[in-house]
Amino acid sequence: MINWTLYKRGIKGSWKMILIFAAVITMYFTVIISMFDPALGSVLDEFAKAMPELMAIVGMTPASAELVSFMEAYLYGFIMLVFPMVFCILSAHKLISRHVDRGSMTYLLSAPVRRETVAFTQMKVMVTGLFMLVLYATLLGIVDCEISFPSELDTGKFILLNVGVFCLQLFVGGICFLCSCIFDDSKYAVGVGAGIPALEFIIQMMANAGEKLEGAKYATFFTLFDSDGIIAGETGAIWGIVALFVGAIVLFAVAIAVFSKKDLHI
Amino acid sequence: MGVCEIQGLTRDYGKGRGIFDLSFSINQGEVFGFLGPNGAGKTTTIRHLMGFLKPEKGYCTIGGKDCWRDRAEIQKNLGYIPGEMVFFDDMTGAEFLSFMAKYRRMKSDGRIKELLERFELDPRVKLKKMSKGMRQKVGIVAAFMHDPDVLILDEPTSGLDPLMQNRFVELILEEKARGKTILMSSHMFEEVERTCSRVAIIKNGRLVALDDVETLKAAQVKKYIITLEDENAAASFAGEGLQVHEISHNQVTVIVQNNLKELISVMNRYPVKNIITPNQSLEDIFMHYYGEDKS
Repeated sequence: MINWTLYKRGIKGSWKMILIFAAVITMYFTVIISMFDPALGSVLDEFAKAMPELMAIVGMTPASAELVSFMEAYLYGFIMLVFPMVFCILSAHKLISRHVDRGSMTYLLSAPVRRETVAFTQMKVMVTGLFMLVLYATLLGIVDCEISFPSELDTGKFILLNVGVFCLQLFVGGICFLCSCIFDDSKYAVGVGAGIPALEFIIQMMANAGEKLEGAKYATFFTLFDSDGIIAGETGAIWGIVALFVGAIVLFAVAIAVFSKKDLHI
Repeated sequence: MGVCEIQGLTRDYGKGRGIFDLSFSINQGEVFGFLGPNGAGKTTTIRHLMGFLKPEKGYCTIGGKDCWRDRAEIQKNLGYIPGEMVFFDDMTGAEFLSFMAKYRRMKSDGRIKELLERFELDPRVKLKKMSKGMRQKVGIVAAFMHDPDVLILDEPTSGLDPLMQNRFVELILEEKARGKTILMSSHMFEEVERTCSRVAIIKNGRLVALDDVETLKAAQVKKYIITLEDENAAASFAGEGLQVHEISHNQVTVIVQNNLKELISVMNRYPVKNIITPNQSLEDIFMHYYGEDKS
């Protein structure tokens, strides 16, 4: 089911992109963590008090004064949603539809390798990249907090938060990958593959903004990633993570089936 | 039953484009020419053989296996030169070939070294920096390196210089002698007449001719433009009973089909200043002949 030659090639082709995203994450993590002040509340909290609507839109409203809650609010409401999402969009396009659009898919399929194997291998490449990014963020978060604020971080909750983000991004990746498999034309593959998650994210921001639009949260899968609930230890939040994970598996399975059955003009 | 069978293969893209009810079969050890002008449906047919497209009607098989359903299985023993060479541009030629060998799960490098030498290709160059001819050579090596029994070649000599075209023809003839079954598409008759024993011609997606290469050679119509001293000479040259296509000033365009000797004997009696053969498309060469009684 997996072709290791293709997998290695895929990883080799992705690591530069992974590094760039890791660098961006590093920058945000170190800057934001340094703003935490256990005694006085942080500069960011001042912002949140000064313009609550604006900060709410990007999910930045801390539930409590704990470090893990602080990170959830200021890193897992926007930064860790947007950057891995962009990684998924780029990666999904690069791995399938770009090859079909350019024609280089010809060589991958003029060999005794089943289409299912090609698609599954490329999916693994994307998921590996995503996993590396989230794993890196998790380790970075833990190490940075441990250095700056020893034993302040509730590591268990922080890891669970990252599991949640990983499942959410896996779901986003599933959408992007499915679009990459459906559309032959890069234009549509990226357009729809990026458009759906982006639109859903905007709906999520609107839902955050105020009570009037709160109902909009039922129209976006981002709601399933209930970061406040995860920190609060709610069971519903755990089920949200499970739902995202199952949804992602379904999306990837459909994507592979679509790619295996479709006509390729290459 | 042939190694490669196409039966009633149809794919309608609308507006008369596509392929329609195409049927032919290629025998073991045969080099089969697949001729047609650009856009006639050669590549569409080949995409079906490669299992890239699912037939709307009809079917095609290679070695008794269905080209759509058993495509991965068929590829074990198949070599393919695509009509357009698109690689992973960040690799060098050598990296690409070794990637393909491993990707195909080949035990060794197969014929890579020998083929590189034969085509005088330096594979250490990045693929995106290669000329069209070099890329074509990389494609040829990739198609033959695992020594497959069946070869599907879509315009395999495009971009090659005449010397390399000759090398390629030699390679095809050797493979033929080794019992390989080869389908070769082209839009130039000259290219297939040197290697193929049988030729199919398609036009607008339909088979218009399927014959021995000898029969087709006899059927081909050639034009010659003969330049004479002046208009009077041209007029009387045109009156010699040859099939004249056009007279303009001192130039006469004659059509020759199997009667080159006659033309030569007439030319002998006139002060001919120049003789040229215009570039004739495949349709010019064959379509008068096949176009009438089939369409």
